Amino acid sequence: MHKGHDRDDVIDRILAKGADLCDEVEVFFTEGESVSAELKRSIVGEAHAARSWGIGIRTIRDGRIGASSTNDPSRWEDCLDAAIAGGTLATPQEWHGLPGPVTLSGSVPVFDPNITVAIEPAREMLRGLLAGAASWPVDVIGGSAGLSRSSVAIANSAGVHYTSERTGVGVSLEAIAGTSTGYEFDRSRFLDIDPFRVGEQAAFFAARSAGGGDIATGSYDVILSPVAVAQLLGNVLVPALSGRNVHAGRSFLAGKLGEQVLGETISVVDDPFARGMGSTLFDAEGVPTRRLAFIEEGVLSSYAYDLRTAYRYSEKTTASAVRGGAGGSPSIGIHNLLIEGPRHDIADERAVYAHDLVGAHTANPVTGDFSVELSNAFWMEGGDYAEPIRKAMLAGNVFSMFGAVDGLGRESRVVGSMILPPVRFKSMQVIGT
Amino acid sequence: MAEPRYWDIRHVEGAVTHVDIDNGVVESAGTSFFNRALLRVLGEHGWGVLTIENYASCSEKEIRDYIGRALQLARVTEEDVVLADAPSGMLPVPPLAEDPRDVSLEEKCGLLAGIEAAARLPGIASTRGRYTEDEGRVHFRDSSGNEYEYALCRSGFSVLAVARRGELMQMGRESEHTLSGLNLRHRQDMGRTAAERALALLDARPAKGGRMRALLDPELAGVFAHEAIGHASEGDLVKEGASIIKGRIGERIGNEILNIVDDPTLPEFGFEPVDAEGVAVARTEIIRNGVLSSYLHDRQTLAAVGDGIAGHARAVPGDVPVVRMSNTYIENGDASFDELLEACGTGILLAGSRGGQVDPGRGVFQFNAEYGYIVENGELGAMVRDVSLSGEILSTLHAIVLCGNDRKMHQGYCGKAGQSVPVSDGAPHVLLEEAVVGGSGA
Repeated sequence: MHKGHDRDDVIDRILAKGADLCDEVEVFFTEGESVSAELKRSIVGEAHAARSWGIGIRTIRDGRIGASSTNDPSRWEDCLDAAIAGGTLATPQEWHGLPGPVTLSGSVPVFDPNITVAIEPAREMLRGLLAGAASWPVDVIGGSAGLSRSSVAIANSAGVHYTSERTGVGVSLEAIAGTSTGYEFDRSRFLDIDPFRVGEQAAFFAARSAGGGDIATGSYDVILSPVAVAQLLGNVLVPALSGRNVHAGRSFLAGKLGEQVLGETISVVDDPFARGMGSTLFDAEGVPTRRLAFIEEGVLSSYAYDLRTAYRYSEKTTASAVRGGAGGSPSIGIHNLLIEGPRHDIADERAVYAHDLVGAHTANPVTGDFSVELSNAFWMEGGDYAEPIRKAMLAGNVFSMFGAVDGLGRESRVVGSMILPPVRFKSMQVIGT
Repeated sequence: MAEPRYWDIRHVEGAVTHVDIDNGVVESAGTSFFNRALLRVLGEHGWGVLTIENYASCSEKEIRDYIGRALQLARVTEEDVVLADAPSGMLPVPPLAEDPRDVSLEEKCGLLAGIEAAARLPGIASTRGRYTEDEGRVHFRDSSGNEYEYALCRSGFSVLAVARRGELMQMGRESEHTLSGLNLRHRQDMGRTAAERALALLDARPAKGGRMRALLDPELAGVFAHEAIGHASEGDLVKEGASIIKGRIGERIGNEILNIVDDPTLPEFGFEPVDAEGVAVARTEIIRNGVLSSYLHDRQTLAAVGDGIAGHARAVPGDVPVVRMSNTYIENGDASFDELLEACGTGILLAGSRGGQVDPGRGVFQFNAEYGYIVENGELGAMVRDVSLSGEILSTLHAIVLCGNDRKMHQGYCGKAGQSVPVSDGAPHVLLEEAVVGGSGA
């Protein structure tokens, strides 16, 4: 695949050269291939194939941390030099070493040997999406189906060298009925997604949201879908749990360890071993992962730490490092975030339901205040969708609304690096027309 | 093997430099490198698309092999893609006043630290400064013999301040990005402004939601132009049936005082010397005197939809060209700020932006202000916080009743199709009747 640039060779070279230049070196390596087929309306317009290759190098010298990344195999030496050069400008910090190797026990569900990265199976999934969408009288706007395989490795000068082979499959479809839109998607590491069901759901939302009525401004019980819940949690709760934000004075949850911060039946957990998109035995800096309870029955029990933040503030890493930080460095994140608590039939009593939110990223990450537009909003009653609602905004505060959770639904779904049920909230402010 | 009807390759090689300073601590500083190429091949029907690694070292034979592979992929496509003819040509890249690459990383760190330190006013609990610099050398060639090469360097910074009083926290943020050179010198005022805003917001009330007259500042009105009409005018959305303004060219969709333009030739943050499929860039008037005049197009959507010009295709390195906005703005009217306030009478002034989003098929958009003020009898009153605005494209554009004469552009990044591209949005102050304002205040 890459003459002279295969994985172990490039990792060994970087570790060897880095050992001469600094105290410690770490290499994060990814390689992968993917294909996707794209619908333009209801016919295939584009077929894509890609290979990816990338390294992130981190160097530590006298407590100064430097990082750099490249996707160009011929520039690994420039990348190493750039990491060291950047490190000379970083403020030195308390540092007690990269992790050493341990025997990782068990396995996580991230690889499906039945996944073939080829265009034909992607084309076949598009047929499934379209067949599902045909269940409702809608026009298909577009859709996508893709398959991927990747290889991830983390290695460091303390002897860690872990690898993980991963597969992925994803589909999405967007439909419209008049001016009523519907979007649905699913992603998995296994061939266990159902394109027909995804197409059917997108079409359902487009078709059933048409002809919605107005809602008067006021206070209503609101049910948010897992997709909508994920957007609010991802924009507000996840950054508030980051140890870096806590210690930097930017988190609503700072100083609240041991305090009741959510409703007393609600727990929030990061479970790297669950069947989700973020499942992994080691984090992005080679620390073995563990199940991490952030909030237990409403009481804040832990923040998330990576090594650098833990060392700086005399805490312990929670194996919460993920890749995606600036310039190829790790940052604090989540693997598979779960909400736990008693499950109910939450849609029996009348409430406003929203499948999606428009503008959740505009929520205030520091205070948790937000006001967003609802997408595919319905009245829900007797466990089922009733009349659609044409247009409504929802305003509130993420922390106080999760303090007033009225119930968790029975079925969870994977949304990015979260696995969430629908959630019912009491007395939310809805701005109607 | 069959020959492709068309192919193009866009290769971008460059480096991204960043500095991150958190409460006076240099968290990280450094440079990373990227090198990506994308090949598009038009088969009998639609596109085969391949990302190519190490394009710079590819021989012509290897490129022919890649074209063959992309053609194979294209065999599953069904859409009969037609490309409209479009003028080629490239604009000169605006000169850099001070080339960021000539300034050491150490000096940039020091300058950013000065801006970040200026935000550390009494009452401020947290400060953060970030600098990014993105330099890319673009090489484009296609099967028609067009070939372009240019280099661009975009850079800029943001500063965040969080004020704290007991349990209460609020944030203020300022940012400026540019393609005309290093902008870090003598900018401590930006740190102070962010801090003063955060402190002032501690005493602001949550806004009360409902329908009211709203005066938007130039930054927020620019986001309004981007979300409320810009996206819906993108030719790919029109072509696929995902825009509520499809089939409405020539229709009055807004007040007759309203003119909205997208112009990639302006030397602002969304500038492109040539578009991502080698087409010459030009200004497009989306709305002229309230009438929908043009869509934004690439070659394919122009051929399929008409009404407009190609030249609006943009792509991040290694990804497919997509119809995108560049520098989008509402043109100046003639009202002064005082006249706008007086015309507002009782309502709300909304300022700054935390971003926005639109569902162009449904025609509903939302965007969020950083802060606002109650307007009473034409005068600014108490400060409010956490206020957003939503609207319906087809009615809201009629609700713009007055435009100021003080247009300003603001820079940001716009996400679509998984690609985030640099844009600028702008407007003068504008007055909106019957705006739907979202807030949690009672």
